[in-house]
Amino acid sequence: MNARPMALPRIAFTGVRPRARNRESVLLALIAVALVVGSVSLGATERVLGGHPAGLAPADPRALAAYLVVLLAVHVAMILSGRRTDQILLPAVGMLGGIGLLLMERLPQDLVQQSVAGRTFGLGQVQLAWLMIALAVIGVLALLVRSDSWLRLYKYTWAAAGIGLLLLTIVFGVDVNGARLTLHIGPVSGQPSELLKVILVIFLAGYLSENRALLVEQDTRIGPIRIPPLPYLAPMVAMWAVALGIVVIERDLGAALLFFAVFLLLLYAATGRMSAVAIGLVLFVVGGFVLYQTVGHVRTRVDIWLDPFADSSGAGYQVVQALHAFARGGIVGTGLGGGLPLIAGRPPIPELHTDFPLAALGEELGLAGILAILGLYLVVIERGLRIAAAAADDFRALLAAGLSLVVGVQAFIIAAGNLKLIPLTGITLPFISYGGSSLITNAMVVGLLLAISDRGVEPPAPRRMRRFSPRRLAGRFGGARP
Amino acid sequence: MSGPNRPIDTSDSATPASPPRERDAHRTAARKPVARNVARVGLSLAVAFGVLAAGAGYWQVIRSTDLSSSADDPAVIAAARNAPRGRILDRNGSVLASNKKDKNGEPYRTYRDVSMTPVLGYASLIYGEAGLERAYDAQLTGLKRADPVADAFSKFQSTKYDPQDMRLTISLPLQKAALKALGSDRGAVVMIDPRTGEVLALASNPTFDASALANPATATTTWTTLNANKAQPLLPRATLGTYVPGSIMKIVTAIAGLSSGALTADTTFAQQPGAEKSGLLISGFRVTDAHNTFTGTKLLSLVDATEVSDNIWFALAGLKTGGAAFDAAARRLGFGAPLAFDLPTAASQLTNGGGRLPGGFLDDVELANAAYGQAETLVTPLQMALVAATVANGGVLMKPHLVQSFTGTGGTTVVNPEQLGTVCSSGQAAVVSQAMEKAVEGRIGKFFTTGAAIPGVDTAGKTGTAQLGGAGEPHSWFIGFAPVASPQIAIAVVVENGGHGSARAAPIAGQLMKLYLDTLGK
Repeated sequence: MNARPMALPRIAFTGVRPRARNRESVLLALIAVALVVGSVSLGATERVLGGHPAGLAPADPRALAAYLVVLLAVHVAMILSGRRTDQILLPAVGMLGGIGLLLMERLPQDLVQQSVAGRTFGLGQVQLAWLMIALAVIGVLALLVRSDSWLRLYKYTWAAAGIGLLLLTIVFGVDVNGARLTLHIGPVSGQPSELLKVILVIFLAGYLSENRALLVEQDTRIGPIRIPPLPYLAPMVAMWAVALGIVVIERDLGAALLFFAVFLLLLYAATGRMSAVAIGLVLFVVGGFVLYQTVGHVRTRVDIWLDPFADSSGAGYQVVQALHAFARGGIVGTGLGGGLPLIAGRPPIPELHTDFPLAALGEELGLAGILAILGLYLVVIERGLRIAAAAADDFRALLAAGLSLVVGVQAFIIAAGNLKLIPLTGITLPFISYGGSSLITNAMVVGLLLAISDRGVEPPAPRRMRRFSPRRLAGRFGGARP
Repeated sequence: MSGPNRPIDTSDSATPASPPRERDAHRTAARKPVARNVARVGLSLAVAFGVLAAGAGYWQVIRSTDLSSSADDPAVIAAARNAPRGRILDRNGSVLASNKKDKNGEPYRTYRDVSMTPVLGYASLIYGEAGLERAYDAQLTGLKRADPVADAFSKFQSTKYDPQDMRLTISLPLQKAALKALGSDRGAVVMIDPRTGEVLALASNPTFDASALANPATATTTWTTLNANKAQPLLPRATLGTYVPGSIMKIVTAIAGLSSGALTADTTFAQQPGAEKSGLLISGFRVTDAHNTFTGTKLLSLVDATEVSDNIWFALAGLKTGGAAFDAAARRLGFGAPLAFDLPTAASQLTNGGGRLPGGFLDDVELANAAYGQAETLVTPLQMALVAATVANGGVLMKPHLVQSFTGTGGTTVVNPEQLGTVCSSGQAAVVSQAMEKAVEGRIGKFFTTGAAIPGVDTAGKTGTAQLGGAGEPHSWFIGFAPVASPQIAIAVVVENGGHGSARAAPIAGQLMKLYLDTLGK
C-alpha cells in the first residue's frame, strides 16, 4: 500500500483528510463472517438442546450485532481521523473478544448477575457491555493520544500511583477465592493489579530508556564475569521484592509471575545483556524455592501441578476437569454449545469464565480452535513488537514492547496453567476471559499500541512533509529532549 | 545518554563519530538499536507459544481417548444417567446384559448370569461402574460413536447418544461350566485362545448377582451385604487376585533359562542326584523334594525335571540363569506391572524387590526358591494363563482381550488381535512345550497331573501346589494347553486351599479344555 493510497475528500470543517484502511476493512469483514458462523453454530445447538427441531439461527443476534456495530464504529472513526495506525491489531483483538463473547453467551447466564437500575443482567450481557466499553477505550486512545510526554515525563509519579494502588488493595481489598485482589470504591469494584501492569510498563520504559546507556556500557566485574553495574541492579531487586510481596500479601501468584517476567524481558530488550536475565532467573528460582517452603498456598499450587490426579476430586479437581475438557475436545472439538456437560446445573470446571476459558474453548473448538487462538495472540504480540522495533526512540520502543509483552506473557501464563505446563495461577486470558478490569486494561494496552504505531509502521512520511515542519512532527510525540 | 535511536533511518547509528573507547564488543550494544533485542524477545515468545501448542496437542490428541472415555469424565457420567446402555453379548450372540426401566422411566441394567459378573462388573446409578461396564462406559452409553464423522456432528442431533452393543470373546457356556467346576471352592479359571489372545472364560468364585446391584430398589442392601462378606465376592480373582504360584512357576524359570542361553534342553546339574535324598544346601537353606522315589539318582534334563517337578533341579536352574535374566523374561511375559488388558489387573511379581542381587532378589536363597514358585513370588491367574498361552503360541505373547467388536448405528468396529511381543524363540518354546506334555502324558508325570489329560488329545500342562506356610491346605494350580501339536486353548486354574495341584485344579482344567475342544474347537 502506498503512503497515500486514496485521496479521500478532506472533511470540511476539521481539515483532516480521511485515510482508507483497506486491510483493516477486509480483516474485519472476515472476522464478522467467522463470528456469525460461530453464532449460528451455537444457536443451532441451543435449539436442539432446548427440545426444538433442528434449524439454523444465530444464538443471540442482537448481542453479536451490537458488538460488530461498535467494532465497525471504531474502524470508521480511525478512517475519518486519517491517522496511519496499525491495521492488524484491531481485527485480531476484535476476533479474540468476539470468541469470548460467544463463550460467555453459551455458558449458564447466572454465573454472573449484575443489577443496574432495577434490571438484572447475566454473564453474556455484562461481558458485552464491558467489551463495547473496551472497544471505545481502544478507539479513544488510538485517536486522541498524540503525545507521549505525559507518560515519559512523569514516570516516578506513575510508579508512586502504582504503589499507591497496591497499598490500597492490600489495606482495603476484599478477599475473593483466597486472593486479595478486588477493590470496592463506592458501587464500582475492580482489580487494581490489572491497571498496575500498565503503570509498571510505563515506569520501566521511562527508567530503562533513560539509563540504557549506563546499563549497557558499565560493568561490575566479579572475577571473569561481567554483570551490569550494581547500582542499576537495585531496581531489579526492588522489582523482585515487590513481586514476592504481591505473592505473600495479595496471594496473587499470577500477577507476580507476570510482573517479573515482563520486567526481565524488558530489561533484556533495553540492554541486550543475557547476564542480567540470568541473574533475574537465579533470583526467581531462589524466591520461588523460598516461597514454596514458607507459603502454604504456593506449595499447594505446585503440588497440584505436579500431580493433579492424586486428588482429582479434591484439590486437583479444577485442573483435572480442565484437562478432561481439553481431552473431550480432541482435534476438531464438540462445536460451540456441544460440550461442557453440566454438573448440577454448573459447567464442570469451577471459575471457568475467568480462569479456564481456554479449556472450554479447547473442548468446543478442539485443538484446531486452540491453535487458531494461540495464533491470534502471536499476531497481537508480533504487531506490538513490530511497532516497538520501528518506534522513533528508546522510550516508545520499550513502551510498545512492554505493552505487547504484558498481553503476550499473561496469555502464556494462564494458557500454560490451563494445560498443566506450569502451576495454575488465577489470572485472566486477555480479551477472552470475563471481567471488566481485565478487558479495559487490555484495551488500554491496544489503544496505546495503536497510538504509538502511528508513523512507526507506515513508511516514512513524504519528503515534502519533513521539510515542511520537522518540529511539528517531533512535537507530536513529546518533542526534543534535554 | 544516547540520543534517540532511529532503527529505520540507520544514518544515526552508523556515524563515524563513535566514541573511541569501544574496545569490547558488547559496548557497541549501546549503539545497537533496541529493535534487535526486541526481535529476540519476540522469537522467545514464539517458542513459548509453540510449547503451548505442543501441550494442547498432548492433551487433545495423545491423551484424548483415555481421559474423555474414563468413567470419571463428567460427560460419561451424564450419559450414564440419561441413556439406556448398549447390550453386551457373548461370542455366540447370547445377551449377557440388557436394560429395564424403573418406575420413573430411568433405565437400569439387568444381567443374565452370575458367572459373568467378574467380567462385566456392574453399572449402578448409585455405586458407579466396575468391570467392562466401567472400561467401556463411553461406548456403552453411546457418548463415543463408531463413526468419527457422525461423532463430529453429533451436537446437531437431538439424539445425542448412540449406545453401542458390545460383543465379547467370552463363551457363556464355557464361563458357566468353569464356575460350576469350581463348585463351592474359592478360585479362578482363565481360558485363552493362544493364537489370538481372545479370552474365552474368565471365571471367579465366589461371585454375586450384579442385577441386584444395578436395580435401584435393591442396590443399597446388596452393596452392604457384599461388602460385609468375608469371602470377598466383589474381588474378581482371575484379574485382581494374587497367589503364590508353586511349581507352575517352573515354566517361567524354564523360559527364562532357555531364552537367556543359561539352559538348553540337555542341561543337567552334577550335584542334583546327590542332593535328592538329603536336600540341596544353599547358603544354609535346604531345598528339598520327595521325588527320589521316582527318579532314584538319575541325572535329570529340563524335560525330566519338569515331568517330576523337581525343585532341586529348578533351584539350580534359577541360580544358573541369574536374577537379571529371570526378571527380564518374566517382564516380557507381563510380570512387574498391570497387564495390558480391558480390565484392571494386579501386577505379578518374582520378588518384593529392593535386594542387592540383580532383579531385586535379597540373596541366592530367595532366587532359588522363586525359581520353583515359592519365596515372595505372587501371580494372577490371568498372568499364568498368558504364560501357558505364550508357550503354546511358539513364544509369541498375544494381547489378551475380552471384546470382539462394537456395533452402533454407524457400523461395527472390530477389535483385532495384537502381538505384545516375542518372549522366546519358537525352538525354545517347543522345548518347554515338550516338557509340559511330558508332565501330563509322561510315565511319571501323569501321577502328578491326574485328570488333566484329555482323552484322545495330546495335552500339555504343569501343576502347582503352592505352600502357604502355617496350617491350611496349599493352593491347587494348573496351567496348560491342548492339543500340543496345534494348540487351540490355554488355561490357568487356581483353587484356593484345594490341596495338591492334581487334587482339584488339574481335573477342572482337563474337563474344561475338553468341553472347549468338543463344542468350540476347530
